[in-house]
Amino acid sequence: MANTVKLAEQLKKLNELRGPVPQELRDRLAAQNKAQQAILNALKEGPKTAPELAAAAGLPADKALWYLVGLRKYGKISDVVGRGDYPKYDLKGGEAKK
Amino acid sequence: MKELEKIEVDTLVVGSGIAGLQAALDLADQGYSVAIVEKAPSIGGKMISLSKVFPTLDCASCITTPRMASVSHHPRIKTLTYSTVDAIKREGRTFTAAVTRKPRYIDEKECISCKRCEEVCPVYLPDEYEQGMGAKKTISIPFTNAIPQLPVMHPEHCIRCGACARACPKDCIEFLQEPAPVEIKAKAVILATGYETTPMTAKKHYGVGELPNVISPMAAERLLAPHGPYGRVLRPSDGKVPGSIAYVQCAGSRDKSIGVPYCSRVCCMYAIKQAVLLSGSLPVADITIYYMDIRAFGKGYEQFYNNARAMGINFVKAKVARVTEDAEHNPIVRIERQEGTSAPEEVKHDLVILSQGLVPGCDVSKFGLGAGLNDFGFVQLSDETVSSAVTAGAGVFAAGVVKGPRDIPDSVVDAGSAAMEAASYIRKL
Repeated sequence: MANTVKLAEQLKKLNELRGPVPQELRDRLAAQNKAQQAILNALKEGPKTAPELAAAAGLPADKALWYLVGLRKYGKISDVVGRGDYPKYDLKGGEAKK
Repeated sequence: MKELEKIEVDTLVVGSGIAGLQAALDLADQGYSVAIVEKAPSIGGKMISLSKVFPTLDCASCITTPRMASVSHHPRIKTLTYSTVDAIKREGRTFTAAVTRKPRYIDEKECISCKRCEEVCPVYLPDEYEQGMGAKKTISIPFTNAIPQLPVMHPEHCIRCGACARACPKDCIEFLQEPAPVEIKAKAVILATGYETTPMTAKKHYGVGELPNVISPMAAERLLAPHGPYGRVLRPSDGKVPGSIAYVQCAGSRDKSIGVPYCSRVCCMYAIKQAVLLSGSLPVADITIYYMDIRAFGKGYEQFYNNARAMGINFVKAKVARVTEDAEHNPIVRIERQEGTSAPEEVKHDLVILSQGLVPGCDVSKFGLGAGLNDFGFVQLSDETVSSAVTAGAGVFAAGVVKGPRDIPDSVVDAGSAAMEAASYIRKL
């Protein structure tokens, strides 16, 4: 495991070298966390398509899809097998109410 | 800056796409030592991100990964990834290359590729390997079959939370890592810097990259790849399964207005290949290819084209005047047919792929090695009828698309030729 003293020193030095973390990056991360949480919350009601999730989370459809595939890649969301123009997504491990 | 690392080899290979890999292997298997320098974090070039190859429909990574593995494990090949060649100087009979290893912000020797740093990192980024359609983290391993399996941190997207360092079981995150200089001395140089596709913004009538459902062929390759961003073929604007897909041929070649008047050779075939693969994954989809003329130039290619026609791919001889979209982001293609009625027509599709052309991946004239370039920036051979690899610079050879657009089999054959010419040159020194 990491040496916490060394880590603290490195991060402190990094802040001195590069200045504070840019506000734009902080804002982007806040927006990302909000969008991902909204998508995960919407999925608790049951499997949904990308446009449905976009509507539930108040996001443009392409943005919602991008967050969705990120969550899918890192194991939070799974595909639902089925037909139709828009495939559905579900929480991993069937946490959603069927 | 760190201390200068010195490497001495017989041949320096610049670029690790299929041509660079093959040239390096051919030389190393003959007993020559090789250093291969790649700017990306993984070797494999463009080919490793492709789905399948034409006309055999063999899986592209099944052909590339064994070569990548052989190169990375070869006792006579030194691989430098995430490194740039800044300059190459000729000194008598040797070349001295100044190379910079870019910082990955990890201890490469200690890292065990466990991906824990990537799992805990909170910041998501568009993944350029997936052409922006997928996501990665600020610290992440470039892609599943990347070689080496080492993560790269992008400090401009790092919020310095330290989560990666706390999760790392080997304590190998190095936030303060700096670029490291390397000096490579070699007797011969093989240029294998490959290509880039013409930018989506090149043609202003085709949406300048702002229409979400008008995508590049490299993006289409990722949609078709088994580990693609969506795990299936969907369109990027809303995750819909596309029911109608169109290819616009010569969208980045044979066009003086964008400075690419030449034919890029491979676009007809990759479009046909992708159309065949799409019709396999989406059996009910309508697939149309708008073309000027089909150039099926290699062995078995004409048959592949005829098979695609027989499968029901719709080939329309038409010029595409412009591509726009409706309110639902459905691309609208305005065409003029070259056969039958020629009145302009507007056709709505769900997804459009612009068949972009190939342009040089790197301006190799910056190295000043005596290898001349043609009008379009590709390396000029000293006499094409005598050798497919010898340039005007003594000891400088070219392999693959650096010499001009060509397909994968031609690049592999070329690479063998470059390796043979380099070996023969070194023997005579």
